[in-house]
Amino acid sequence: MTNYKYCLAVFILILSNFFGHGQNVVRYDLTVTDTIVNFSGKEKRAIAVNGQIPMPTLTFTEGDIAEIVVHNRLKEGTSLHWHGVYLPNKEDGVPFLTQMPIAPNTTHTYRFPIIQNGTHWYHSHSGLQEQIGMYGSLILKKKETDPTFREGIDDLPTVPVILSEWTDIKPENVHRMLHNANDWGGIKKGTVQSYSEAIKAGHFKTKLENEWKRMLAMDVSDVYYDKFLINGKNESQLSQFKAGDKVRLRIANGGASSYFWLSYAGGKITVVANDGNDVEPVEVDRLIIGVSETYDVVVNIPQEDTAYEFLATPEDRTKSASIYLGNGTIQLKSRMPKLKYFEGMKMMNGMMNMDGSMDDMGMDMSLQKMDMNTVMYPEVTGSGDKKMDHKMDHENHTMEANAELVTLNYGMLKAPHPTTLPKDAPVKELRFELTGNMNRYVWSMDNKVLSETDKILIKKGENVRITLYNGSMMRHPMHLHGHDFRVLNGQEEYAPLKNVLDIMPMETDTIEFQANAEGDWFFHCHILYHMMAGMNRVFSYEEQAPNPYLPNKEWAYKKLQKESNKFHFMAENDFASNGNDGRAMLQNTRWSIGTEWRLGYHDDHGYESETHIGRYIGKNQWFMPFVGFDWRYRKSEGSVEKNIFGQGNTKDTRAVASLGAEYTLPLLVTLQGEVFTDGNIRFQLMREDIPVSPRLRWAFMVNTDKEYMTGFKYIVTRNLGISTHYDSDMGLGFGATLNY
Amino acid sequence: MAISVLLSFAEGNAQTKNFRSESVKIYGNCAMCEKTIEKAGNLNKKATVDWDKNTKMAIISYDSLATSKGEILKRIALAGYDSDLFFAPDDTYANLPECCQYERAKKKAHNMESHDMQMAKDHSHHIAMTQDKNALSSVFEDYFSVKDALVGTDGSLASNKAEKLLKSVSEVEMDKLPMDVHMVWMKVLKDLKVDIGNIVATKEVGDQRVYFKSLSKNMFELIKVSKLETPVYYQFCPMADGGNGANWLSLEEGIKNPYYGSQMLSCGKTVETIK
Repeated sequence: MTNYKYCLAVFILILSNFFGHGQNVVRYDLTVTDTIVNFSGKEKRAIAVNGQIPMPTLTFTEGDIAEIVVHNRLKEGTSLHWHGVYLPNKEDGVPFLTQMPIAPNTTHTYRFPIIQNGTHWYHSHSGLQEQIGMYGSLILKKKETDPTFREGIDDLPTVPVILSEWTDIKPENVHRMLHNANDWGGIKKGTVQSYSEAIKAGHFKTKLENEWKRMLAMDVSDVYYDKFLINGKNESQLSQFKAGDKVRLRIANGGASSYFWLSYAGGKITVVANDGNDVEPVEVDRLIIGVSETYDVVVNIPQEDTAYEFLATPEDRTKSASIYLGNGTIQLKSRMPKLKYFEGMKMMNGMMNMDGSMDDMGMDMSLQKMDMNTVMYPEVTGSGDKKMDHKMDHENHTMEANAELVTLNYGMLKAPHPTTLPKDAPVKELRFELTGNMNRYVWSMDNKVLSETDKILIKKGENVRITLYNGSMMRHPMHLHGHDFRVLNGQEEYAPLKNVLDIMPMETDTIEFQANAEGDWFFHCHILYHMMAGMNRVFSYEEQAPNPYLPNKEWAYKKLQKESNKFHFMAENDFASNGNDGRAMLQNTRWSIGTEWRLGYHDDHGYESETHIGRYIGKNQWFMPFVGFDWRYRKSEGSVEKNIFGQGNTKDTRAVASLGAEYTLPLLVTLQGEVFTDGNIRFQLMREDIPVSPRLRWAFMVNTDKEYMTGFKYIVTRNLGISTHYDSDMGLGFGATLNY
Repeated sequence: MAISVLLSFAEGNAQTKNFRSESVKIYGNCAMCEKTIEKAGNLNKKATVDWDKNTKMAIISYDSLATSKGEILKRIALAGYDSDLFFAPDDTYANLPECCQYERAKKKAHNMESHDMQMAKDHSHHIAMTQDKNALSSVFEDYFSVKDALVGTDGSLASNKAEKLLKSVSEVEMDKLPMDVHMVWMKVLKDLKVDIGNIVATKEVGDQRVYFKSLSKNMFELIKVSKLETPVYYQFCPMADGGNGANWLSLEEGIKNPYYGSQMLSCGKTVETIK
């Protein structure tokens, strides 16, 4: 017995020595449950942790042991990823890559030592759960004895701030609609950029050229959101601050797909840290925070009895969210002017080559220095606004002051200490081109999605240098798990450390990091819907130890690959007075299985369907060879119709297979050529979604069987349109189009 | 028809039930203010604002289930008008028409501050230029004014500044120029005068920019040999002049494109720094 006690005492002694002095375990219990929220006036499903959205702020001090116990009370699997944190690979929280999903009604414990400090955040890495509530602040405090402790910065009162957005549409449905180029979001945002709007803005030629170059209307963001939130609220106030106070905001962008402009009504914003790493303080008027980035900023409360608005404006400027600092009358910040979409379109036209590649016109762009946004809104006087001429002197003064606005870019970030990598380590050079196809919402790297690539092997001890070129038309916040990388931004040995790199179209940036953390690490675009579309890679250390949470890694990787290349379903049917016209499609990154039908109401009009199974070829996916099957029945007394090649064809009963191809022509017209098993040939030109006005679409079709169709559809709601069309087989019809 | 009547009846009923009216103070001046304030505050079927320019008081009535006093006053403040809940953004206030520049409710402290800063900036700018004892300094100074006017897309200002530039050009005492500068001066003088004259002659910014391109090219040659004390940045925008690209000179490293102004303010890059 005494022996046993002795043993225990020794064991405890060893244990406490092992963890060192002052190293304590900080435990959080997190219970994940389904919940109903009402952010927009409608009750919708969301996910809450410990009953709240955002998830609770977790605070640790460098040197602590974090122990986070997750109780999953959902009906689906979940996971938590510790964004920007150095930790053992098995604690990284990526289902099917570093662990199995936490199954419903089970508990999983994450446990890792905190070996860094800074502002981070955490979120679910399972499916689209991050969009509906699973994001929260993660604050790793610096020890007061830390040699890098900065007086006047690290001792200020701090407020964790997490930005996010809310949509009433289920995120799975948002994702599906994006893949089907559904423009309901554009209608809600007023960004359809239709021909009527183009003409009104004097940009008809711009629009025409844009479509000639086979581009659909572009926006700076993809998704329509009903509300934007700061710490789960659209507006809130922190009235504990008084005049003269300095406040440090620890801001994380937990939005699934929104970049936010940050500005402050009380004066300049001093940026003191980025992605959890200190930077030399830099004063700016505003900054943009990319999806999943973090920034620490210091702001002042200039006057008493006044609260100052800290404003977060999503990049598309549709709405905003505010937090008021101080007590008293609220000093507002002016809203950012609306984007001029056709100016942006004009610039895009100038930079888009006919073959779908981009031309930077000899400018070497990098590090957010030339913001494409600036093209789309006026920043100085004389923005083509005639009213300006009548304005008074002192107003011109303020406008001039506007021109002096300082906007943060990556070139201005400087680490307080050298960040150079070991000089004698071998260097592994990698290059990725970020690629995309807006029309089909395919996002990839080097035109390959995750399901088309193997893990990228790296060796422990080498320096990995990655050059990224963004050849797509949207910006991408690229995030690396488990490491911070240096952004080579001209600050030489003081290059800042980051774990998210926002890269704008046509920019080239170089990052490098030391491979010092064994495991499989995700490298991906942090726009949730781009990630789920396959814009991901995995860096895998050679000869790593097995992961106890993931016994069968090969199987799991296949599962991970599949998750980001799912099939998306769409269907629509026009219930018209002259018949039913519709189609249904199932598509993923490369494959398309689609069927179209025209069903009359009686035998004379006939019934027909065409089914195509095809594969998209090339980066732009303009070309799709397919195999098809046509079936048709019509009672027409055996009359034979001839096509323009003189080939006969009874339309009565026909069941033929075919071989063909589809090609997208300039102006987004689809050319289809098909050879049927009965020897007949058919060519067809078609376009269905010409945006005449924000809600009006024009469609036409003509083919070598001497069939033609033209029609209009007015979009009433997300799933309903009123339509009229004239069809050479069925005549004139009116009806309602339902679509999913 | 019957349904719509019924609906509107039901709606009207709901309106009166949840509608609340309050009287609030909103700072402002004139009838124009009244129009702006009411337009900003009104929200179809949810809120109406009736402001009196003499008493500065507004009656706001709103559906308390759909909106709030705060939301209404916030919209009005964002249009430029202070209330006891919200102060309008300073730049929005400053952009109100002159007749609407009412006496503000808030203290002016940081308004003044920003003004001072602006003054200080202008001042330092000036000193940097006058320190330079170069015989061509007024030519360069005026060139930069023309450039700034083009950045602001202000054709008449550009024309005015160009007139001043033309005067400075003709006042240059050639014999005081060093030999190498003199040579270049002789070479470019004729073209300089033609381009500047053309800019003076029109108020059409588009045309001025055409002449500004060749003006900048000659000015670059001149500045290169003149050896100024402050660095000058030779900058290039590949999209200017219909995609042919064009250069200009600037005292700042940051790009402010005179060929596009606000349209593409930051398009371009520094191709050479002249010290």
